[in-house]
Amino acid sequence: MAGAPLAFPSFYRVLAFDSLPSTMDECRRQAAAGAPEGLLVWAREQTAGRGRRGRSFASPPGNLYLSLLLRPDRSAAEGAQLGFVAAVALADAVSGLLPDGAGRVKLKWPNDLLIDRAKASGTLLEGQPGAAGRLDWLILGIGVNVMSHPPDTPYPATSLKAAGSSARADDLLAALADAFVAWHETWRDRGFGPVRAAWLDRAAGLGEPIRVNLAQGSLEGRFADLDETGILWLDLPGGRRRAVAAGDLYFPEA
Amino acid sequence: MAKLEVDEALVRKLAQLLTETGLTEIEYETGEQRIRVNRHAAAAPVAAAAATAPAAATPSAASEGPPAGAVTSPMVGTCYLSSEPGGAPFVKVGDRVSKGQTILIIEAMKVMNPIPAPTAGTVREIAVEDGRPVEYGETLLVIN
Repeated sequence: MAGAPLAFPSFYRVLAFDSLPSTMDECRRQAAAGAPEGLLVWAREQTAGRGRRGRSFASPPGNLYLSLLLRPDRSAAEGAQLGFVAAVALADAVSGLLPDGAGRVKLKWPNDLLIDRAKASGTLLEGQPGAAGRLDWLILGIGVNVMSHPPDTPYPATSLKAAGSSARADDLLAALADAFVAWHETWRDRGFGPVRAAWLDRAAGLGEPIRVNLAQGSLEGRFADLDETGILWLDLPGGRRRAVAAGDLYFPEA
Repeated sequence: MAKLEVDEALVRKLAQLLTETGLTEIEYETGEQRIRVNRHAAAAPVAAAAATAPAAATPSAASEGPPAGAVTSPMVGTCYLSSEPGGAPFVKVGDRVSKGQTILIIEAMKVMNPIPAPTAGTVREIAVEDGRPVEYGETLLVIN
């Protein structure tokens, strides 16, 4: 245990580790054993970090790696809104730790944090189906490049440090924990509307030409909107509009 | 938009809103078209277009119910038949599955949603391809 003297809102129960194979695996184990919402598994490094679709996620010391257990009692489709809740919270937390942060921090659909258009975080959510079409739980996994970022990524990467912040992983965790609680309450009490509006305010590439790489093939068009379910709408050449629920966004070279 | 063209994406979106909100009917009107989507007692949303242009009244969405034993998609997303690219599939045609066993994953907005078998049985058909988009209510596979 790292034993950091950080104070967290009462929503959380924090388990801190110097090193873990994967915060997702540990959080899932705890969830399956009945842990309540708010369990936050935090590791200072991961030795077997994972990204989307089994990709490895380099996780050296100095960056932030956490998995948060949520039990929203919603359908899986509605649970997807929590990825946007997390994205908006992360944008707020990082904005406050970065010189001129508000103008430099953007969100890349659905929930990547960009600083000066370079990617500084990765988010992965795993749902667990329960009874009657409801989620039993949803685990929100977030990795943020605080002190370092991987070279040679398909999308240009950066870190808070490279962007001029003196914040450490602990500082970001504290700021993110506060921001997430606030946005989570907004979502729970007022629904997705305010979260969607805040996300759109911070959206990179809205109204601009983008490319979306799909599991098979890719699409090019104009990023038209984010709808009430979190789906990205793309205006294709020729006037057709296409819904995108899964894919990786790329913006043209500026 | 050409006046005889059905905006399939819009109809799908309305159908999805219908199921999410629990409403039985949504009517949406623009200058040239009026689209009404309503839900009957069946589990799958039925899209009916009552547009001013008669040719636009042909719904493309499910007018036939899914086959018996069909497992339908609870959301719009991309479906994966294995836990990672190149990995062994969760199930194959002919496999016996137990209730609750993961049969595939649907990704939406970076959320990975394992889809459990609703009953024990034998996989008779896999109706979707790995890495392809799926719609709400679309048949994923058939178990009986």
